[in-house]
This record gives sequence, C-alpha cells and structure tokens, in this order.
Amino acid sequence: MNYVIEVEHLTKKYKSFKAIDDLSFKVKKGEILGLLGPNGSGKSTTINCLLALLNFKQGHIKIFGKEMKQDAYDIKQDIGVVFQDVAVFDELTVYENIDYFGGLYIKDKNLRKTYINEALDLVSLKDFAKFYPKQLSGGLIRRLNIACGIVHKPKLIFLDEPTVAVDPQSRNNILNGIRKLRDDGATIIYTTHYMEEAEMICDNIVILDKGNIIAEGSSDELKKLAKIEEKVIVEIMNFDDKYLKMIGKLKNVVDVTYASSILTVKYNKGQNNLVTFIEYLKENKIEYFKIYSERPTLNDVFLEITGKELRD
Amino acid sequence: MFKHNIIYSFKLLIKNKVLIFWTLFFPLILATFFHLAFSNISDSEKLNIIDIAIIENELLDNNSYFKESFVYLSSSNENQLFDTIFTTEEDAKELLTNNEIVGYIVLNGDGPSLVVKNSDINTTILKYVIEEINQNSIIINNTLESSVNQNTTINDISNQIISYLSSSNISITDQSSDNVDYMMLPFYSLVAMTALYGGILGVAMINYFLANMSSVGKRVSVSPTKKSILILSGVIASYIIQLLGISLLMFYTSVILNINYGSNVFLVFLLGLVGSLAGLSFGIAVSSLFKVNEDTKTGIIISVTMLGCFLSGMMISSLKYIIDKYIPIVNLFNPASMITDGLYSLYCYDNFNKYWFDIMSLLIFSLLLILLSITSLRRQKYDSI
Repeated sequence: MNYVIEVEHLTKKYKSFKAIDDLSFKVKKGEILGLLGPNGSGKSTTINCLLALLNFKQGHIKIFGKEMKQDAYDIKQDIGVVFQDVAVFDELTVYENIDYFGGLYIKDKNLRKTYINEALDLVSLKDFAKFYPKQLSGGLIRRLNIACGIVHKPKLIFLDEPTVAVDPQSRNNILNGIRKLRDDGATIIYTTHYMEEAEMICDNIVILDKGNIIAEGSSDELKKLAKIEEKVIVEIMNFDDKYLKMIGKLKNVVDVTYASSILTVKYNKGQNNLVTFIEYLKENKIEYFKIYSERPTLNDVFLEITGKELRD
Repeated sequence: MFKHNIIYSFKLLIKNKVLIFWTLFFPLILATFFHLAFSNISDSEKLNIIDIAIIENELLDNNSYFKESFVYLSSSNENQLFDTIFTTEEDAKELLTNNEIVGYIVLNGDGPSLVVKNSDINTTILKYVIEEINQNSIIINNTLESSVNQNTTINDISNQIISYLSSSNISITDQSSDNVDYMMLPFYSLVAMTALYGGILGVAMINYFLANMSSVGKRVSVSPTKKSILILSGVIASYIIQLLGISLLMFYTSVILNINYGSNVFLVFLLGLVGSLAGLSFGIAVSSLFKVNEDTKTGIIISVTMLGCFLSGMMISSLKYIIDKYIPIVNLFNPASMITDGLYSLYCYDNFNKYWFDIMSLLIFSLLLILLSITSLRRQKYDSI
C-alpha cells in the first residue's frame, strides 16, 4: 500500500501532561483524512509534530516514506499548510502574499506566476489580487490563507479548520476547492469542528480525544458505532416534563431530552418514527413549531463513545 | 530565492508604518528639537569664555608646559577658550564663592586638581582640557629628563617629544580644529540612537520567521527555505533601511539644520553604519533570546537604546564624563557610548586610533550578539499545546 503518512506510537508530553498518547495511523495517497476532536484533543499537536514544528520523545513519523525532521527540506517542498490562524502579511497585497509564500518553494519566476494565477482561480480571488488583506472580508481572507498554503501545488496538504468563521458562500467555495485539490492528486489532512463538512468531504475520519484515537473509519463505518438510527427533533415552547417519561416508553425510543425549547427523541430503529411521533403529539394536543427527522451524525458517535459533545 | 526574500523583506519593513516612524522619522523629529533647543545655547556659549583661576606655586613654575598651555588657551583670539587668572588659593576661593570663576586648578605632587562649585558643561570641558594638558606635560617632562644627561641637541629633544606624542594614545586637544562644539554631543548621540534603533527592525524581522511569534512565522517555518537564508536576507533588507535612516539623518541635519559635522563627515557616516550593524545585532539577539511578545521586545530595544544614549550624553552632556569617571564599565559595554566616543574622538584627537578602536569594539559587539543569536535560534522549537 502506498502511504503518504505513517505515524507509529507517537507520544508527545508537556512535562507530565500527555498531549498525544501512543498515536498510530496511516494516510493513503490521494485520500482526505479528517481529524476530528474537541478542543485539546491533540489535533493541532499531531499536525505540529507531523510538520516537525514540535519535538517528541517517542514514536516515528514518516512522510512520503522518509523520516520527517526539521531539516527534511525535500519533504517540506511537497507539503502545503493552511493553519487555523490566518497567516498573511497585512503589508502585502493578495498577489504579493501568494507570491512571497510561493517563492519559498518555487524559484522559477514564470512558473510561480502561472501557479499564482491558478491559485487565485481556485479560491476565486482573481478580482482582489491588488487588494490588501485589511480590505477583504473574513471569508475572502480565509481564501487568501488557503491560496498561500497551496500555491506551490503540494502533494500533501494540511488544512487546519480552514472554514472557521466564514460565510456559507466562502465555505462552499473552499470545500469545492479542497475537492478539486484532491481530484488533482493531493493527499489532504483536514481538521474541523464541523461534522457535516467532515462527512461531506473526508474519505476517512480519525476521531481524537485526550490525545488518543477513539474511533476511525469512513463516515458510514463510524455512524454504525452509534446505537441510534434516527433522531426526531421538535421545537416546543413550554413543554411539560411529565411527557418525557411517557415518550421514553414509546416503541424504539432509546433516549429523550428537552433543553432550550428543543425536544430530541432518539430511536434505535429508523422506520416511520417521524409520522408516529407527529400522531403522538396530536393525540396529546401538544403544540409545536417545527418537527424534523435526521440521521445520526458523527457528533452522536462521539457522544456515544465519550459521553460528551464534539464541540465541548 | 535569496533575492526574492530580500525584496519581500524590504517591502514588509518599508510598509510597516510603526517601524518606519521609529527608525526613519523619530530621529529627524528629535534632531529638530535639539536644533531648536540647543542652537541658541551653543551660539551664546561659544561667546562665553570660561573664567578660571590657577594657583601660583612652585610646581606650576616648574611645569611651564602646563602653565603656557593655559596662557595660550586664554590669549585673545577667536579661539579663546579660557580667561585665566594666576592667583593665590585664598583669592581663588573668594572668586569661586562670588561665582566669578567656574573653578580653580591647583598643581600639587599628585598632579593637577580642580576645585569647582557645580558640575556643568564648562567644568566638564575644563576637566577634559586639564587631563589632556597634564598627560602631555608628563610625556614632555619624561623626555627632557631622559635626555638631559646625554649629548643631545635641542632638535633631538624636540624630535623625541614629537615622536612620543605621535606614538602615544594621548594627544593634544586641538581646540582650533574645525569643530569642537560640545553641543554636537547630542547630535552624535542622535546618530548613535538612529543606528541602534535598527534593533527594532531586527526584532520585527526575526519575529516574521519564528513559529512561536507569529502565524506567518509558523508558515515560513514549514517551508523548505532554510532559516539561515531567511534571516540573512532579512538582515540585509533591514540594513538597507538602516542605511537610508542614517543617510536621511545626516542629510537632514547637515543640509536642512546646518549642523556642521566637520571634515570627517565620511567617517561619521561610516561609524553610523557600523553602529547600525550593532543595533541590528542587538535586535536580533533580543528577538532570539527573549520569549516575550513583539511589543515587549520593541519596548526593550527602545528603552535600552534610550538609556544608552542618555548615559552617553544625549540629554545631559556632562553625564558621559561622570559615567566615564565613576563607573567606566557601563560605557565600555554601551554601544551608544562606543558610537559617540568614536564620533567625539574625530574632533578631539589628532589621530584616529580611538575612532578605529570604537569601530572594532562595535564590530566585536555585533559579532558576539550574532553568534549568541544563531546559537539560540538553532536550538529553538515551536512549543504550543
């Protein structure tokens, strides 16, 4: 198997605190691997170790089949990174920023020019080439941040929460760009808080918690770990708690909660639950604003395994 | 790639308004203030001849060089520095009490001693002149003593004295040289300050490349470009801006403010450039060694530079003399003092030994800091949870 990344027994300690504990995983060529986990789960530490920004005492990291080190410049040549914090210079225009970071990888001025134009196209920033970052909206700056990280057409790309605080239009633009990069042959490591994003674009997902891998596999494989098949969500004002116990005893219901005017009913089997529950509400003359059904998410998987929300 | 980095480092620095203010424009503002504040004082002080007294005694009679030097410096001409009264100690005390003289000199077995009421710029000049004359008179007396028992001619003795004086580090202060205006000291310190403010550029430049200082530093750190190339190109770009800063200051002060740097203007410029290297090295060292944010690093550079310039006489001219006399080690390691000393030596000494010594000191100072910084930077790793 052709692996781009091989991590074996990686352990990173800060004094007595283990930020990463005996982590092992592999990433195949051309796949998008999603790294999911709440804050402090070890996602960023893992990426920083992979990029040789951090020292670690135990474990091995191989990228493109070679040991990753701080001075492994040949490996670094084929890596692109988009950090969570926007990393661009306010003093340079959009074009100059991409040119500067591209110039750290590509010597040939003409080739660089071609790549810059392609990067501008990919993130739809061509019309803003002469703008300074301060003149751009949050979403456009995020796109610039991505362009600076991928301008040199890397074979391996790390994307650390690239869609944080961006508008839906920019998010779609970014996700489409990521898919295109994958289609062009790049291998991508993608960290995010947005489960729906991970489900949409990741071929494989690793869920981290407290520096450990608690689950890994494709989105469908992971969802099978959840004991529920369907959730019915209802917006209800002034819900009487006496109904909670009654709903809990309904057929196939495994859990029921009411918080912030939202009633959530979880089912272990997923057939006709929505229709049945609407009838139940009518029979009991319970008024509601909105009702809908959804399949279990990765957050449900995380909740199932750890007892807490991914965003905690 | 090297050229690419130099061009962009230069662009980054030149477009940073805060950096450019401190390194290019702040010295011009200070120069303007100094000019407004000191130009009138300087003119009036030039006309004010310093009144002094020398106590007549046998030692003075035997030290004709010392006595004649003061007679010469008190003779009525355009370069007259002192108005000297040769009198008794009682009379001198009375004159000093009545503020008719700034001080009086007594020659005793240990050499000349100066009695003053206050320490000000006049007494500072007087102290400098006494030391110079005394050191030269010692050389002359020694020469005469060693020659008296030999069959030497007057010409031989004269040649020997000239030889001694030219080979010694001590030289006769040439009060009639093209510029000995002590009010130049603040401007010399300003050149020192401008040079040392290069440290701010050094801090900014290094922070651009440190993963734990900025997000762009993190991005640069994961690129295949070597840190040494990034830093060297950054240093060159910073140095070009420093060169602009020193040139701008020299142009502004000499052409607009009519400050006369004398005939050694090229050497003043050279010292400014070497001083800039010291400043830049200082900035790089602060940036590499201290794990604090950029504002704190800049604060360290500005405060240390201002303190150094203060101690080297930027605000109070006589302070430099006091530091030199009582705690000389401070100015020995003070780059601002190295620069002002070097500049002052251009006009106070008849050779450039002291000037080149200061140039070498600044180069060694820079080299040590750069070595220290490289060692520190090579050991550094990004460290964050």
